[in-house]
Amino acid sequence: MQHDNGLTVSLQPHTSGPHLLVVAGDLDHHTTPRLRAALEEVKFAPDADLVIDLSGLTFCDSTGIAILVAAHQRAADAGAALLLAGLDPDIARVFQIMGLDRLLSFYDSPEEAVRALSK
Amino acid sequence: MRRYAALETASGAAFDRVAALAARIFRAPFATVTIVGDDTVRVVAAHGLPPRHGLVESLCAAAVRHGGPYVVRDALLDPRAAGDPAVRGEPGIRFYASALITTPDGEALGSVNVMDVRPREAGDEELACLRDLAGLVMDELEVRLATHRTVEVERELRAGAERLARTLQRTLLPPALPRVPGLCAAAAYHPVSADEVGGDFYDLFPLDDDRWGFFLGDVCGKGADAAALTSLVRYTLRAAAVYDADPHAVLANLDAVLQQEHAGGEAPVPYCTAVFGVLEPDGDGFGVTLATGGHPPALAVRANGAVEPIHPAGGQLIGILRDPHFAQVSARLNAGDALLLYTDGLTEARTPSGSMLDEDGLTAHLAATGPTSADALLTTVHDLITALGKGVSDDTAVLALSVPPATRTPSSGSLGAA
Repeated sequence: MQHDNGLTVSLQPHTSGPHLLVVAGDLDHHTTPRLRAALEEVKFAPDADLVIDLSGLTFCDSTGIAILVAAHQRAADAGAALLLAGLDPDIARVFQIMGLDRLLSFYDSPEEAVRALSK
Repeated sequence: MRRYAALETASGAAFDRVAALAARIFRAPFATVTIVGDDTVRVVAAHGLPPRHGLVESLCAAAVRHGGPYVVRDALLDPRAAGDPAVRGEPGIRFYASALITTPDGEALGSVNVMDVRPREAGDEELACLRDLAGLVMDELEVRLATHRTVEVERELRAGAERLARTLQRTLLPPALPRVPGLCAAAAYHPVSADEVGGDFYDLFPLDDDRWGFFLGDVCGKGADAAALTSLVRYTLRAAAVYDADPHAVLANLDAVLQQEHAGGEAPVPYCTAVFGVLEPDGDGFGVTLATGGHPPALAVRANGAVEPIHPAGGQLIGILRDPHFAQVSARLNAGDALLLYTDGLTEARTPSGSMLDEDGLTAHLAATGPTSADALLTTVHDLITALGKGVSDDTAVLALSVPPATRTPSSGSLGAA
């Protein structure tokens, strides 16, 4: 786990089910390179989806949004799903105004996201 | 001397200690630190009785002329000092020794001086200490000068950056809004930082015979990149509206241009949010068609005080998504109605309770204050931003449009389209 500028990113090893990426802290132009690097390590495939746990996310600026959108497009290209879990209501509201709710699926918790995938 | 001009006000505990030390080393009652100006001698520190200024001046000037350690063993026997009131009268100075404060280039700035009321000799050790003390004063002056220079450079850089930011900002925003018959329009930009260019933009411009286009938005990022992107977005919107003023088509056009802008590039993806609208006179009001791309809802403040969003649901970010959706809606602005467009610096501001103001908070504030004209809307938003203070963390652009209230009495005139 890395930590500086208030952002931590950790990719949980997965035995079965989707990848789980836990992101906490402020996501801004100082910290997005770390999330980008972590996302590049994720190998998307039709049976390898990604759940991003954002329950510890405290801030997200325009560069953070661009990274999430790019990750969604990579996942879609590989036939994988990208699900967001635990988004702070204020950030969820901003994402909704930007129309990202038509693109990304929001879930209350990572567990709920994983359940949605197994349906 | 000129480059030390900034030190004309030099004084402080460090110099007081040097003077006190000089007196102790010589076991003398008086010591001073003096700086020679263009034609004055200034005492920056004094120990013991403050010596007569005239004496200090003449002896310090003589020391500087002498160019090295300067000793007067008995002032009564020295023609340069014997006539001085401080020698003849109180406190009766007889002995004087000084060491020059010299810059690394050998320029004498002043001296550290010791005085006694009896004639005496100055030992080599004492004079060596006096020279060291003068060296200490020089070191202190250099430190102060370096600090002063750093502050000066910083201040100049900052002033330059602010000038550049203000110049850029002016090119990104229309110098003045055009006069639209039957409509009041007002706009404002509330920057959070004086020296960082934000990416908010707006405009109001004629489309054809009697239709008007307007837009307001926010590009991602800050600084020079955001300024360049703002410029591209603003001119693309104006140009796109010339070919096809349909708001949905205008946003789709902007999206295509931004997508081309970063095709295959390594640079951060440029994108924006925007509201684009067309105004068309309709009876005693205006028909409004609005398209939005990922932007917070425009709010209508109706003549009866009701506040409602004019917001097509589902519009998405412009320039970054595949097959983005831009939504469009039509509405009317009747006599006495006003319309507020704003950027998210306002709605994402934190209220004193720590929560986001959001569209709901802004709506409630507008309903409570009841602005009925474009100017009143701007004032309301200005006061709100001022009241939110540090809760506002991003720039806010505001564009307000209003239709003046009907001057006819309701019973005498026809309602709606004539």
